[in-house]
Amino acid sequence: MDNDLQQLLNDGATAEKSGYVIRAVDVKRVYRNGEVETHALRGASLDVKRAEYLSIMGPSGSGKTTFFNMIGGLDRPSSGKVYIDQVDIAQLDPYELAWLRCRKVGYIFQSFNLIQVMSCIENVMLPMSFAGVSGEDARDKAMDILERVGLADRALHKPSEMSGGQQQRVAVARALANSPDIVLADEPTANLDLKTGEEIIELFWKLRSDLGVTIITATHDLKMLKRSDRIVWIEDGRISKISTPDEMQIQIEEVH
Amino acid sequence: MEQIGKQVKLPLGRALQIAVQGIRIRFGRSLVTVSGVVLGVAFFMSNVTSQLIKQAIADEREQRQTLNLMLTLMKSEIGDLSGKTVALATFGETTVSERDLLAVLRKTPGLTLGAPEALGGKAHLLLVLGAGPATASPDILTAGMAQPVLLDSLAERAYPSAKPGSSLAQVRRELFFGRESEEQADKLKTQAEQATFRTLWIGIISILVTIIGIANALLMSVTERFREIGTMKCLGAMSAFIRKLFLIESAMLGFAGAVIGTALGTLLSFAGYGLTFGFGLITAALNVGGLLVAAAACIAGGTVLSMLAAIYPANFAARMVPASALRTNV
Ligand SMILES: Nc1ncnc2c1ncn2[C@@H]1O[C@H](COP(=O)(O)OP(=O)(O)O)[C@@H](O)[C@H]1O
Ligand SMILES: [Mg+2]
Repeated sequence: MDNDLQQLLNDGATAEKSGYVIRAVDVKRVYRNGEVETHALRGASLDVKRAEYLSIMGPSGSGKTTFFNMIGGLDRPSSGKVYIDQVDIAQLDPYELAWLRCRKVGYIFQSFNLIQVMSCIENVMLPMSFAGVSGEDARDKAMDILERVGLADRALHKPSEMSGGQQQRVAVARALANSPDIVLADEPTANLDLKTGEEIIELFWKLRSDLGVTIITATHDLKMLKRSDRIVWIEDGRISKISTPDEMQIQIEEVH
Repeated sequence: MEQIGKQVKLPLGRALQIAVQGIRIRFGRSLVTVSGVVLGVAFFMSNVTSQLIKQAIADEREQRQTLNLMLTLMKSEIGDLSGKTVALATFGETTVSERDLLAVLRKTPGLTLGAPEALGGKAHLLLVLGAGPATASPDILTAGMAQPVLLDSLAERAYPSAKPGSSLAQVRRELFFGRESEEQADKLKTQAEQATFRTLWIGIISILVTIIGIANALLMSVTERFREIGTMKCLGAMSAFIRKLFLIESAMLGFAGAVIGTALGTLLSFAGYGLTFGFGLITAALNVGGLLVAAAACIAGGTVLSMLAAIYPANFAARMVPASALRTNV
C-alpha cells in the first residue's frame, strides 16, 4: 500500500483511538481438559498506548502467559475481543495472522522456545526467512542484533551449549528479527544475571524511545518495573490494579 | 501507522532448503526414521526377490533335469557318444533344454553332428528337436541309416506319410522333454497355485508391515516436534509451509529409506539363497527384468507411502493453535 493512501486510511479510522496499539476487551479464556475447566482469564480489559512500556505482574498461575497469548494472536479468546491497530484479530485470515505474528509482534517466551537443532544465528534468521528475507542480508542483520544482545561470538553455538541467560538473550534477539512494533516478553529477565538483565532492560528502553516500539513484559524484576510507564496487576485471571512505578514505590516502602 | 499485511508464501525451494537443513542437523534422528522405512521396504523386497530366485532355481533345475534325461536316453540307444555320428533335424522353435543339449553335444569330443542329408546315412541316430510339426517323413530323414534310431523330443509329433507298421515306426523313441503327463501337469498346476497364494499372502503381510513401519516412524518424527512447529507458527510460518516442510522431509527420508531398503532386501535374499544353492544356480535363470521392475516399484512405493503416512501428522501439526503447540512436552 502506498504511504499516502495508508495515511489517509489511518487518519480517517483512528481519529479518536489512534493512540492504542493493543486493546483487549473483556477477554476470557477457559481451558477444557475433559471434565476439568480452568478459567485462566476471567475478563481482562486493557488499552495499551503506542510506544508504551508496560509491565505485567502477578503470581504464578494468575494468567499472565495466557494474556500474552491472547494479545499476541497466538490463541483465540473464549470470549471478548482483541484489537491490534484497531483491527479485530479474530477477523484476520491465516495470511494476515501469520504476517502479524511474523512482523508486527516479537515474542519472547517464558521457556525461550529456541529451535534446539538450529544454531543461535539460525534461530534469529528463522523469522526473517518466514518474512521472505534470506541470504546475506538476513545473516548480516541477525549478526547485528546478536551483537546488541552481546552474543556475536556465540552466533554458531547451539542453544544446548549455552546458559539459560544466553538462551534468553537469543530469544530476545529472535524477537527483534523483523523489527516488530510490539514486543511481548514473558519474564525475559528471570534467568539473567544482574548485569545482562540491566542490559536487556536498557535495550527495551532504547527500542521504545528510539523506535517507538511498544514493550509489554511480564516480570517481577524491580528494575524493570521502575522503568515502565504503567504496571498492570493480574490476579486470578483478572486485572486487579493498574499503577505507575511511583505509586508502587510507595506501596513497597509501606510494606517495609 | 502500519496496516496489517499478508504474509508472503514462501517458495517451495525455501521449504526444501529448511527441510534439508533439518534432516542434516537432526541426522541421528533422521537415521532412525529412515531405518523404519528401510526395515519395511527391505522386508517386502526380500520377499519379492526370494520368490524370483525360487522361480529361477526351479526353472534351472527343470532344465538341467531335462538335459540329463536326453543325454541318458541317447547313451542308452547308441552307447558312449564319442566317435558316433548324430543326424539332427530341427522343426520350429527349440526350448532352452534343447539348446543346452546341443551345446553339450557340440562340446563332446569325437562326436559328429550334422544334417541328415549331409551325413548320407552314416548317422547312428537321428535326433529330432523343436516344437513345430515335422515337415519331412521319418523315412526320408533316416534314409540310408543301417540301423535307424530316431529320438524325438516331442512325443505327439505327427510325421507326414509315416506308414504305420513301417520298420521306422518301431524304432521310434519319444522323449518327454518338459512335456509332462496329464497327471504330472495337474500336480504342478496345484503346486503353482499354492505358491501364488503364498506369495500373495506374504506380499500383503509385508506391505502391511511396511506401511506400519513407515507410518510409525514418521508419526514419531512429527509428534516429537510439536513444540518446534508451534514456535515456527508463532514466528510467522503458515500452516501450508509446515505441511510442505514435513511432506518434503518425509518424501526425502522415504526415498532414501526405500533405496537402501530395496538394496538391502535384494542383497539379503541373494546372500541367503546364494550361500545355500550356489550363486550360479540362482542367477542362471533369474528374471532380471522382473527384479528391476520390483526394485523400481519398491522405491516408488516406499517414497509415496512415506508421504502418505506423513499427511495426517503433518496436517495435524499444521493446524495446531500455536499457543497449545508450545505447551506440549513430548
Ligand atoms: N493449555 C492449557 N490447558 C489447561 N490449563 C492451562 C493451559 N494453559 C494455562 N493453563 C492454566 O491456566 C492458568 C493460568 O496459566 P498461565 O497463563 O500460564 O499463568 P502465569 O503465566 O501467570 O503463570 C493456570 O492455572 C494454568 O494451569
Ligand atoms: Mg507464565
